[in-house]
Parts: sequence; structure tokens; C-alpha cells
Amino acid sequence: MIKRKKNVFVRFITNPKVQPFLSVILPVALGLFIFILWQTQVLHKLLHTDTFTLPLPSQINQIIGDNIPKIITNVKSTVLVAVIGLTIGSLIGYLIAVIATVFPKWGAGGLSIVAAFNAIPIVALAPVMTNWTKDVSKDASVRSMVAKILVVMIVSIATMSVNAYRGLNDLPVFSLDLMKSYAAKRRIVFLKLRLPNSVPYIFTALRVGVPSSVISAIVSEYFAEYITGVGRQIRENIVIAQYATAWAYIAVACIIGISMYCILMIFEGILLRNRRS
Amino acid sequence: MSKAKKILSSKPLIMMVWFLVLVVLWEIGASNMEKTKRTPENILPHVSQIVGSVTDGKLVSNNMTATQIVLKSAGATLERALIGFLFGSVFGFLMALLMKLSNLVEKTIFPYLMLIQMIPIIGMAPIILAITHDIGTSRIVIAAILTFYPVATNTLAGLNSVSKEKYELMYSYAANKWTIYKKVLIPSCIPYFFTGLKISAPMAITASILVDTLQGDGGLGCMLSQSLKHAMSIYVFWQIVFFSAIIGILSSVLMGFIEKLVSPQMRQFRQSRKHRSKA
Amino acid sequence: MSEMLKEEWKKEIEIKIDDVCMSFKDNSGNDVQALNHINLAIHKGEFISLLGPSGCGKTTLLRTIADLLEPTTGKVRISGMTPKEIRLQQKFGIVFQSPVLFEWRTVKKNVELPLEIMYWSKEERSKQADKMLELVGLTKFADHYPKQLSGGMQQRVGIARAFGIKPNILLMDEPFSALDEFTKEKLHDDLLKMWRETNKTVIFVTHNIQEAVYLSDKVCVLSPHPGRLSAVVDIDLERPRNIRMKESQHFTDLVAKVRNSFEGGSL
Repeated sequence: MIKRKKNVFVRFITNPKVQPFLSVILPVALGLFIFILWQTQVLHKLLHTDTFTLPLPSQINQIIGDNIPKIITNVKSTVLVAVIGLTIGSLIGYLIAVIATVFPKWGAGGLSIVAAFNAIPIVALAPVMTNWTKDVSKDASVRSMVAKILVVMIVSIATMSVNAYRGLNDLPVFSLDLMKSYAAKRRIVFLKLRLPNSVPYIFTALRVGVPSSVISAIVSEYFAEYITGVGRQIRENIVIAQYATAWAYIAVACIIGISMYCILMIFEGILLRNRRS
Repeated sequence: MSKAKKILSSKPLIMMVWFLVLVVLWEIGASNMEKTKRTPENILPHVSQIVGSVTDGKLVSNNMTATQIVLKSAGATLERALIGFLFGSVFGFLMALLMKLSNLVEKTIFPYLMLIQMIPIIGMAPIILAITHDIGTSRIVIAAILTFYPVATNTLAGLNSVSKEKYELMYSYAANKWTIYKKVLIPSCIPYFFTGLKISAPMAITASILVDTLQGDGGLGCMLSQSLKHAMSIYVFWQIVFFSAIIGILSSVLMGFIEKLVSPQMRQFRQSRKHRSKA
Repeated sequence: MSEMLKEEWKKEIEIKIDDVCMSFKDNSGNDVQALNHINLAIHKGEFISLLGPSGCGKTTLLRTIADLLEPTTGKVRISGMTPKEIRLQQKFGIVFQSPVLFEWRTVKKNVELPLEIMYWSKEERSKQADKMLELVGLTKFADHYPKQLSGGMQQRVGIARAFGIKPNILLMDEPFSALDEFTKEKLHDDLLKMWRETNKTVIFVTHNIQEAVYLSDKVCVLSPHPGRLSAVVDIDLERPRNIRMKESQHFTDLVAKVRNSFEGGSL
């Protein structure tokens, strides 16, 4: 569609050659702008707060630098919970999807129940899991870990099973008929058609699952017996009014979320590189 | 297929059966606990005990029954979740429109919309409480942020889903921008907008309950913590667990219901049902 | 209108395509000549087909007339005005390959949509939509939603919508190519009937030779690489056309004549 533009500025910003640069420059500019507002304490005036509750980026940075060993311990705890919970949950979720595919009549109904778990607030799940794992181990750190993993697992099961079921059943048109014409056995249909077809859907599930596993891990830390993890540190430090330390852990939590998502994107890029049109 | 068989294989019935299976599993666990534990109600009470505590008139705390406590605190929690949810969805919708209107705004904001999905906003709840100094405000703020980004991203996806031919058709009618938004873009994005609402409604409630646990001013999360610390009957805890689970699921269902009421796309299904019943 | 007057009127040139060239850059940055020095005059009330294989620039040519594209060089004039002026006067009716219906509007509301944009009154809109739906035989389906209709019926709604705005020029971009042969034949006769009753100028893009011959007064044959006008074949089959004519020798000869006028070995 031809659009006739008069203005030099408008012509510049709609120039196709300028677009990729704008996509980088504009968000970076916004980030810098907020950073400057923050560092120069203008942001504090806007939010009616002080550098004690909202420390300057330089302060936060310094605290992270000073506490690296302690932060690493807590990051390990949170990441471990998120990754183990996500892995087990996704495997179980996929298995549920497979069972639902094999027994479609009962499976689809069961899947709706599993999907409903998605809407259950983590806040309600976490304390229940803490209660149920009281006997798992005498060691509080171990049983807290198990409880947290269970929460992440339940959240991940729901996301994975719904998406994987779609992947196993939303097949290309006529592909099942084609398989039938080869007199392919159900096992073969599953291995050659359904399984490969579900791979992109697994990544769709993980795109939701990875951030939510970090969130679930952090929230379940609030309710765990044993005090560890990035989320719990945010809370504990606020209780004792160490806001700068709390902010450091918030920054760390953001970094965890972003890096786990990036790792997922890299995997997806490698595994699905031939599927992109 | 015979009629009886048809009813037996209907989806709601199968879901009911699965639900019953879950209840039975729960009961087996509860019976097991009863035999092995001194205080089984702390770990896994019978479903009947939980249901019983709902109708029980016994005063638990502050001259209120367990149910009264749950309902009163639920009121406070849900009210703020709702306010935050409304703010977040209106703001998310407007942001999506703004991003559609201006390429520059989209380029500036979109990476942050992606980023915000990767970071655990809910973990920031304590600090937002510290900044706002008010539990009510922070509940609203967190619920609003959590509602904002699913609504914004989904609505934007809806606005971008409009086919090229539809624009060309409007162009051939020499329709102005406002008309295109009113007649094409906004109606097209409504189903996507509701997808966003369905995702964010349970999140807003979760956030609101979580913020409750940070400070003691009533609210579901606060009562949940107190009950866990045995400051009041443990059944308050169990009631809240189930209540919040049910509310979480219902909030999503409610959004679907509202969608059917307001969205013109959905009207066709009612229409076709009417036609079928006439035939 | 008497037959003679109609003939007289048809002699008036409505659309003049004057040495139009169009070039694009492809993905590797090479210039691709989509249209190469096209000259064409279209008379008022004529039914013209732009016929050719994919890549011959027939859709590009239609789009330059519709003001959806601007030619690189050369110009298009419609009744002495630019396509943009005609578009702003809302004198174009467009039908695409897909029906492009608005799924949240009923069939009737879809037909009314352009009339809303043109600020027709509510009663007039309703009256016009009813009239158009009757012409395409969809009166009974006025309150249905697009998804409840078959592909052929959906395309009929698109045609009713295009005729509804009383356009001077009807631009159709392979409107029947997604339909089955039976539906297509029915729609051909419906379209010819509407065209006869409304006296619009129709520009019809297609890759189907029989379709072009059956419908048109003139078939403009375009050849690809670069897209150029290789022949204009007059179709002197008598009007009104009917399906029997397809079996006549004359029809077969015309089809052969059109086919033989393609240039280039890519066919």
C-alpha cells in the first residue's frame, strides 16, 4: 500500500532501512532514561520514596558484588527447585497427554481437570505441599526442597499436558489417513507422526512453563520451612528493613528469569531450526 | 449409540468421574493419616471434615465462625484483586491500542512487555509494599501489573491478526483511521483481549492473596498464615485453600462467560444453536 | 435504455492505462519488472478480463487501477481522474480471492459495512442490503454469520457487498479461483446477471481461460517475465451468455485463440 508522506521526520522513521536500528535504539533509550531518573533520584520524588527503600542502581550493584558467595547459594537453591520441578512436571505432563491420546474418550475429560489446576493459586498449593512433606526427611532443608519442587511440578504438569495433547492431536490434515494407507501400527503412528508433531508444542508449553516455574519456586519459598532461595531472601531482608539487599535479590531473580528464558530460546532455535518457514 | 451410552460418554460426566477419582484418592490418603498421625487434620483432613467445618457454627476467632472469617477476608482480598484487575486490563488494552497506533511506541515498549513475562513480578510484592506503605495499594498495584501484560500482549496479537485484505478493503472505501479502528481492529481483537483476561484473572487473585501474607490486616492470605501458625482453627486454612482454588478456576470461567455475553463473535454460536433447535 | 444508446455509451473510454511500468526489488535486491509498458483503454460498461499465469502482473495491474499500488512510471486515468481521486469518491467495488468477510457481523451487516462508512441512513442501508442479497439469492441467510455459510455463499456476500455501494468500477481479483466448478458456473451466471442489470465496468483477474472467455467482452492476455500485455482478444459471443455456448465451436475457437496468444515458453 502506497502512503504518501510529506514530513521529513515521518519519512525518516518509516524508512525500512532505519527500522532495525529503531528497534534497538528506542528500547535502550527508554531503559537509559529510567536508569537516569533512578540514579538521579527523580524517580524517588515521583514515587514519593527515598533511597533507603529504593536504593540507587549503583548501590544495588555494589551489594551484589559484596555478597556473591551468599547470592550464589540462594540462586542455586531457587534454580534447582525450578529446573527439577519443571523437568519432572513436564515429563509427567507429557505422559498424561500421551495417555489422554491413547484413551481419547476418558483422556480429554481428565485433561480438563488437569488444566483446571492451572487456575489454582500457588499460594494455596505451597502450604499444603509443605504440610504433606513433613515426613519425607528429618532434614528441614531436604523436605522444604521436596515441597517446593512439588509445587513447581504441579504447576508445570498443567501447562505441559494441555499443550502436548494439542501437539499430539492437532495433526496435519490427512496425515492420519496417509498413515492408515500404509497400514501403520499405532506405535509407528505415534513415533513417526504424533511425537515429532508435538515438539513445537512442547516449546510453547516451556515458554509459559519456564517463567512460571521460577515464579512458583519463589512463591513456594515464602511458605517453606527452611529459609533459603532468592524469593525468601527478598522477603527476609525486607522484614529486617535491609531494602538494598532485598533489591539486590530482586535484580538476581530477574536475571534468573531472563537467563532461563534465553537458554530455552537457544534450545528452541537449535531444535526447531528446520521447521521455520 | 444408545441414549444412555451417549449420556455416559458426555464430557461433563467424564470430568465428574475424574473429579470423584481425585476425591477418593484424597479420602484414602486422609484415612491413612488418621491411623498414623496424632493431628491428621493438619496434614490431610477428610473432605467431610472440611465441608463440615464450612457449615459448623462454632466460633473460631473474634466471635466469628470459620466460614465467616473466610468470607470476610475473601471480600477484602477479592475487592482489591478486582480493582487491580480492572486497572490492569484497561491499561493493557489502551497500551495495545497505543502500540498499534504508533510504530515508535510499539518498538519502544514491546521488548519490555516480553521482558516482564520472564521476570518474577510476584517476587517484588514485598518491595512494592515497602514503597507504597499500604497493603491495599500494593495489592492493587501487583494485581494490575500481572493483569497488564497478558492483556496487552494478547490484545496486540489480536490487533495484528487483521488480514491485509481487510485493510485493503477499508482503503478502497476511503475509510479513515478512526473508522478502521472502530469497525475492524477493535472488534477483531476482542477474543484475544478475553484470552488475556482469562490468563490474568487467576494471577490477579494469586497476587492479591500473596500480598495478604506479607502483613496482618485481614484478607485471605493473612488468615491462611495465621491458621497455619495455629492462631485459629486449622480448618480455616483448609477452607481458604479450597476457596482460593475454586475462586481461581471460577474467575477464569467467569471471563469466558462475560466474553460470550459481550463478544459479537460468540453470538453466532448462540444463533446456530437456535437454528438447530428450530429444525 | 435502448440497445443503441447502450452501444453508444460503451464507446466512451473510462479507464486509460498509459505506458504503465512497475518494478519491485526482490529479496536478493534485484529489480524485477512486474509490468512492462502496459497500454490499455477500457470502455464504460465493459467486462474486461486480465488473464495470465501467476507472475504475469495481472494482479499488480488491477492494484494500480485500484490505487493500492502506484506505478513506477506511466499513469492510470479513470474518467480523467487519478485512481486516488476515484477511490476517495468511493467509486470502487473490490472483490478479493478470499471473501474477506467480517466474522462478527451477520451477512446483512457485512453488506451494510461500506454503506455505514459512506454515511448512508439506516433505512437506506437496510433497503440496499436486502436488494443486493436478493440479487445473489441469499435473502434467507441475511441473519446468518459468515462461518455458517459455504465458501461459495461467502463469496456471494462479497459480491453483494461490492455491488451494494453502487460503484462505477468493479475490480475482481480471482474471486472464484477457490471454488469448485459447479459453484463457479452458477456464480458466473449470477455475476453476468448483476452486471447486465447494473451496467458497471468490470475488471476481472483470472488464470482460467474458459472463465475469461465466457465472462468477458475483451480478454487481455498478459505474459510473464517481464509482465507485458501480449494480446487483447475481442470475445464476440452473443449476450446474454449461457452455459450451452461453452459447447459451441465458436467458444472453443476463441479459447484456442486466447491460448495461442500467450508469449514465452514458460507455459
